[in-house]
Amino acid sequence: MTTGIEIIGVGLTKSAEKWEMGLLDIAIRAAGKALEDAQSESPDAVVVANAFGGALGDQQNLALHLASGLGCCPVETYCVACDDASGGAAVRLACALISSGMHQTVLVVGAEKTSDALPDMLETVRASGLDAGREASFGFSPTIAGALGMQQYLNVYGLDKALFFHIAKVAHEHGATNRNAIFRWPLDEAQYLKSPIVATPLSVCDTAPPCDGAAAVILRKSKNGSGHIRILGGANVSRKRGIVHPITELTLPAATESAAMALKEAGCDVADMSLLELHDSNAFLAALSIEAVGLAKPGEALHRAADGDFSKDGKAPLWTFGGHKSRGLAPGASGLYQVVEAVLNLRGDAQRNQVPSATKALVQCLGSFGAQAVTHILG
Amino acid sequence: MQIAKSWRQQPSNLRLEGTRCTRCDRLEFPAVIRCSACGCTEFEICQLSGKGEVVVATTVFEAARDFGEHVPYSAAIVKLAEGIHLAAMITDVEPRDVYVGMKVEMVTRRIAAQGDKGPILYAYKFAPLLMP
Ligand SMILES: [Zn+2]
Repeated sequence: MTTGIEIIGVGLTKSAEKWEMGLLDIAIRAAGKALEDAQSESPDAVVVANAFGGALGDQQNLALHLASGLGCCPVETYCVACDDASGGAAVRLACALISSGMHQTVLVVGAEKTSDALPDMLETVRASGLDAGREASFGFSPTIAGALGMQQYLNVYGLDKALFFHIAKVAHEHGATNRNAIFRWPLDEAQYLKSPIVATPLSVCDTAPPCDGAAAVILRKSKNGSGHIRILGGANVSRKRGIVHPITELTLPAATESAAMALKEAGCDVADMSLLELHDSNAFLAALSIEAVGLAKPGEALHRAADGDFSKDGKAPLWTFGGHKSRGLAPGASGLYQVVEAVLNLRGDAQRNQVPSATKALVQCLGSFGAQAVTHILG
Repeated sequence: MQIAKSWRQQPSNLRLEGTRCTRCDRLEFPAVIRCSACGCTEFEICQLSGKGEVVVATTVFEAARDFGEHVPYSAAIVKLAEGIHLAAMITDVEPRDVYVGMKVEMVTRRIAAQGDKGPILYAYKFAPLLMP
């Protein structure tokens, strides 16, 4: 369904705590950059991914307010709120609008403003993406679920916690050269092991730092010989909800299925990917994602990371701009950051984060602790 | 947690009431109004035993809002005798003494309070099984 769509413009803001800018401002900034990059006229539709603006007491119906602020009205607008999978889902919706023939050019913007909320309030709002009645209201959050998953992963596979260092290490190695990243330094093992515990065995270094950020793309129907990066395949899979399955079974069926469907549509294999952007909101989901898309056998993600498979010059470069762990996690925008970063690499415009001769990329974001997964193949 | 919501959840939160589908026999907790397996809308109320064991546990040092009073506390996945998994806090034991396979039973405890004046939520936690 997604074939025949190209990405004619991209833009993003630095991931940071932007005290001086509001949610709408950062969305406008990223959208403006994408419009300039595309040198295109006004889009016929605007799709905005924002997970928590309403819950955090900020702007609701952000797509309308963004379109108004950009001066591109009258226009058709939609908001997409699918937890951390909002960005991927928004791209998918934009593809559907174009493929159906309803629209020619669609602006997709992901934006999130987390720094206005106190950390415990933000954690409460992030928890509301889980089962509100059985998980969030009993004190469970994505971070606590990540800690339980991590402990189960160590128990079942008989591993040492220190092995999880290699997940954070890859992200920091790549984020160190990304001027838009919030954490721009390589992480050494001693620092990792000293990191304060949030919930045993998970430490601060095993979670992505929440931040403010926005990223945008402009999509249109592919034109022959345009030279733009294309969306070769896509899939959005929702499965039975709940934190129990990933924790007890150590698998993410939605991530596996969504990746397989998107790869099938693109007519490629995961081994054909020059780079991948997976959902590393915490180290547990990062490890399961690596295994879900087929980069490692069950229980071996950490070993493959330690082997260097996921470095820029490794077999399967991962988190090429630092991932959520080092670039920063702006939940509703996270899926758009992945797409923009992959496009920069595929265009050869990634500067110090460039993967040599990159031709194809897989990007995948997860919502509600992996119950939802959206994957796109770009090339 | 508004008062009506707390009241609505009393059967599950205080009595571990679930539903058993009259057509396909599927047991669900909390109670459902439509069977996720067969679509049936008729159920028998089914009270779970409240006995089970710890599958995996964590000690939480940084909690979400309204749960800070418990820190540090033990949070776990508990598998009930009926095969249902629940995410719940473990109580009446030091968090570091909670272990995989530990036999536990349901107890009613204070879960959270909304600030100084908000309603207090009482619901299930799990404690070490006293009389096996
Ligand atoms: Zn049934």
